[in-house]
Amino acid sequence: MSRGEERRQAREVGSDMKKFYFLFGAVAAIGIGVVGYKVGSGVFGSAVSAPIELDFENDEALVEMAQGVTKGDPDAPVTIVEFGDYQCPGCGSFALSVKPQLELTFIDSGQAKFVFYDFPLISIHPNAFIAARAARCAADQDKFWEYHESLFRNQARWSSSATPIGTFEAYADDLGLDGGEFGSCLNSERFADVVSANMELGARMGVSGTPTILVNANGQLRRVNNNDYQSIARAIETIMSETPGSN
Amino acid sequence: MSDAERSVAGPGGSGPATNRMVITLLSLVGFFVALYLWAHNAGLTGPIVCGIGDCATVQSSEYATIGPVPVSAIGVVGYLALILLAFLGLQPAHRESKIIGGLLLAGSAGAVVFSAYLTYLEAAVIQAWCQYCVVSAILITLIFLASLPEAVRLKGPRGNS
Repeated sequence: MSRGEERRQAREVGSDMKKFYFLFGAVAAIGIGVVGYKVGSGVFGSAVSAPIELDFENDEALVEMAQGVTKGDPDAPVTIVEFGDYQCPGCGSFALSVKPQLELTFIDSGQAKFVFYDFPLISIHPNAFIAARAARCAADQDKFWEYHESLFRNQARWSSSATPIGTFEAYADDLGLDGGEFGSCLNSERFADVVSANMELGARMGVSGTPTILVNANGQLRRVNNNDYQSIARAIETIMSETPGSN
Repeated sequence: MSDAERSVAGPGGSGPATNRMVITLLSLVGFFVALYLWAHNAGLTGPIVCGIGDCATVQSSEYATIGPVPVSAIGVVGYLALILLAFLGLQPAHRESKIIGGLLLAGSAGAVVFSAYLTYLEAAVIQAWCQYCVVSAILITLIFLASLPEAVRLKGPRGNS
């Protein structure tokens, strides 16, 4: 090979390597940018998973902020209220075995409505707050009760997870929710105020454990000490019989 | 000189091997795909964005980890190893290296087999697709194809080390 050919070849090699380094740098820059953005937005805009501090001037302000989710006829004469925690096993068995019986007997017939308030016991259930927010995010797409049951059915699966968000997204997908909309909601602070207000409402009402069941009719609010179907049915019947003009 | 021999030898017969450039660039893309999934598994990214498929189901399945190790972490390490090997193989001192050629060929072949197993799990067991896993499977297949010319180098008489 002549010296001229060697020089020409060296120039070609150098040119190829320059193009390669340029492409390598471009791909690396794009990759770092995309992954960095995702991690940055995940870390700095992450899902709120703990109560936020709220300052209520009075009880009215608290009641306005606290929002239960209602199932059944809004005008039903009796209201069954639950303060519940998605990570509490007792709430799970209540949701999957007692509530369906209440629905069959009282809610589907229009005699009662059921209202669920979040009361995550955050000191012992670290995923309960974000689970409550996830259910609220599902409510945005009119699937609160389906999601509520899904959380309780799969409670053992996500309760001990260090990163339950992916699992919550999977349940949303299973229910046919818009994944992007659900993900944006969950990966934000949406409903952190409502869930926090529900917790405060429960605390002011003397709720200390879950599930706490209350029955309300005609201005009478009664706490049911046992959470089984018979006790709740008896409480409804008692409160109705004590109320003049009811039945 | 055949196409494979030209790809191994590079332009003019002694320049950088084009196939190793391709392997480096494809591995770099795969590295970032795996890195994103790993960051998601570590809870650093918030919800996973999955335009096509059902990434959340795949990533939260029991097959997303092997023991305590996320599959995505294996991908990050694997792609990084391919990048370093192929990059080293582009340097003048190692352009004819049979060891690097052999490692690239064996590594990418192993990765294709592993990727095929993961794709089988998605299709038959989990019954959900993650677009990032599919992209990774395509990338590793292309990387394996790009490493095939290394077989010519392994057979050739000129290799060093």
